[in-house]
Amino acid sequence: MSAPGKRNILAAVAIAICAVAIVALPFVVADRYILRILTVVGINVIMVAGLSLLFGYAGQISLGQAAFYGLGAYTSGYLAKAGVPWLVALVGGVGVAALGGLLIALPSLRLKGHYLAMATLGFGEIMLFFFTETESITGGSNGLRGIPPASIGPLEFATPVAKYFLVWAVVAIVLLLAANVVRHRPGRALRAIHGSEMGAQACGIDTVRVKIQVFVISAGLGGLAGVLYGHYVGFVSPSTFTLHYSLILVTMVALGGMGSLGGAVAGTVLLTLLPFIDAIIPGLPRTTVAVLQDWTNDIYGLVLILVMLFMPRGLAGWARSLVARLAERGSARVPGGERA
Amino acid sequence: MSMLSIKGITKRFGGVTAVDDVSFEVFEGTIHAVIGPNGAGKSTAFNVMTGFDKPDAGTVTFEGETITGLKPHRIVKRGVVRTFQNTMLFDEMTALENVLVGMHVRTRVGFLGAALVLPGVRAEERLAREEAHRMLRVVGLDEEAGATAGDMPHGQRRLLEIARALGAGPKLMLLDEPAAGLNNAETAQLAETLRRIRDTGVTIVVVEHDMGLVMDVSDEIVVLNEGRKIAEGPPLLIQKDPAVIEAYLGEEALDA
Repeated sequence: MSAPGKRNILAAVAIAICAVAIVALPFVVADRYILRILTVVGINVIMVAGLSLLFGYAGQISLGQAAFYGLGAYTSGYLAKAGVPWLVALVGGVGVAALGGLLIALPSLRLKGHYLAMATLGFGEIMLFFFTETESITGGSNGLRGIPPASIGPLEFATPVAKYFLVWAVVAIVLLLAANVVRHRPGRALRAIHGSEMGAQACGIDTVRVKIQVFVISAGLGGLAGVLYGHYVGFVSPSTFTLHYSLILVTMVALGGMGSLGGAVAGTVLLTLLPFIDAIIPGLPRTTVAVLQDWTNDIYGLVLILVMLFMPRGLAGWARSLVARLAERGSARVPGGERA
Repeated sequence: MSMLSIKGITKRFGGVTAVDDVSFEVFEGTIHAVIGPNGAGKSTAFNVMTGFDKPDAGTVTFEGETITGLKPHRIVKRGVVRTFQNTMLFDEMTALENVLVGMHVRTRVGFLGAALVLPGVRAEERLAREEAHRMLRVVGLDEEAGATAGDMPHGQRRLLEIARALGAGPKLMLLDEPAAGLNNAETAQLAETLRRIRDTGVTIVVVEHDMGLVMDVSDEIVVLNEGRKIAEGPPLLIQKDPAVIEAYLGEEALDA
């Protein structure tokens, strides 16, 4: 069988196993702490799905994703506290984040490389300042407290299990939609822009427009993750929406591999779980855990450097070449079989 | 009436006038070559015609409408596509995907439609893939549909870029040195491919260094030297033109 064919089957199997594991987990694991950790993983996956489209597919860096996370969290938190139904607050949060994305995208996506990085970084810092200083709306550095849990009509997502399922249901929808995008015309346009911007223009792609579109989508997904986060924790404060978080998100996409949603998800899961390693793998020596936790940020930085240097295609590229090698070995074993 | 009309195009870079008051006409159904020594302004003229550079003076008219200064993607939408001297393929994508991107202006699915797989999305995708395979067959690359563009040999990459340009369903194709780096067999195959494309009704303008190919396939030749047009006519006349021999062929004769 050809490598792409084998890859598709392996991907389908992996997705099925993950789906079953995610659904079964709350019934198997009694530890609520682990559920909480995995809920955060799910929120980060939504965040990274957006950044993967922007950075992993279209090759446009954003160092300001935390700002959209914050815009979503504060907007829907504020609205929900004012008595607005959660679904409306959600739409508001996503909408404000997407609007913020549009406002920063219009001027800055004419910029490239380092300039785009600086523009988005600056935007993130400005928004952080905004979250801290507009006390009447955001609660300033004390944060916005008492955000009600998510609810749809009479259905309230107040328990850890309910929150877990809500987040992962949204994850499933987001990943499905994103996967549909990347394997059709708009996804190819994103990869084309990454591959050669002039080449993309020569194919009739309005590169500025597509870049603005994907930036707004990634901002909206950031907002969506922020909405879920705010109603999950019940409290948001500026310390969550820092450059530090934006950089971790970039590291997750890079570790997973450019141009791969699955890789980005894997990168997100691994790096989100790292600080909670003791809860995930019980029985690890205490010193090992202590070292991993004390050096978490250094490990993130090291991962980014090592991936850039030695694994530019990330986990996804590594998995692809592994599958290709297996496929080749498989076809080589067939007597007289032609090697494609 | 001519299909493409270049009138008084001038393009300066700082103090250098790369293209100086150049005018010529391209007629439908022909292969038109633009030749000239290095630095003659051929590629700049191409960039102006395809919207990658804005001219300082002059107009480009396609099918009676001015396209001067339009963005490249707008010009593609009108049916004028190009290839590049240094191929600008999408190296991480397969040959088929490259052609599918080339079909961008002929397909419609947007972000929302793709995300929700709205009715018609699957059908368009299937048709687009069939058509992309057909484009690959035109240039003889159908066997390589699944190959990653970045891994393909140079000659195939040149052909793939032509297939990608064909994907847009062009009326006019501008090829920037398609034979650069090709061996004789590949150049002969390219000439064959260009004729086949012309015979399907696509007009071709080709910037080329390979005189054999130019004399072989072109119906009309424009000769540029130091940014100016110095001659224009069918291959047999161009070969005998004293100004051309001095500026271009003479230089080659001296090199040899």
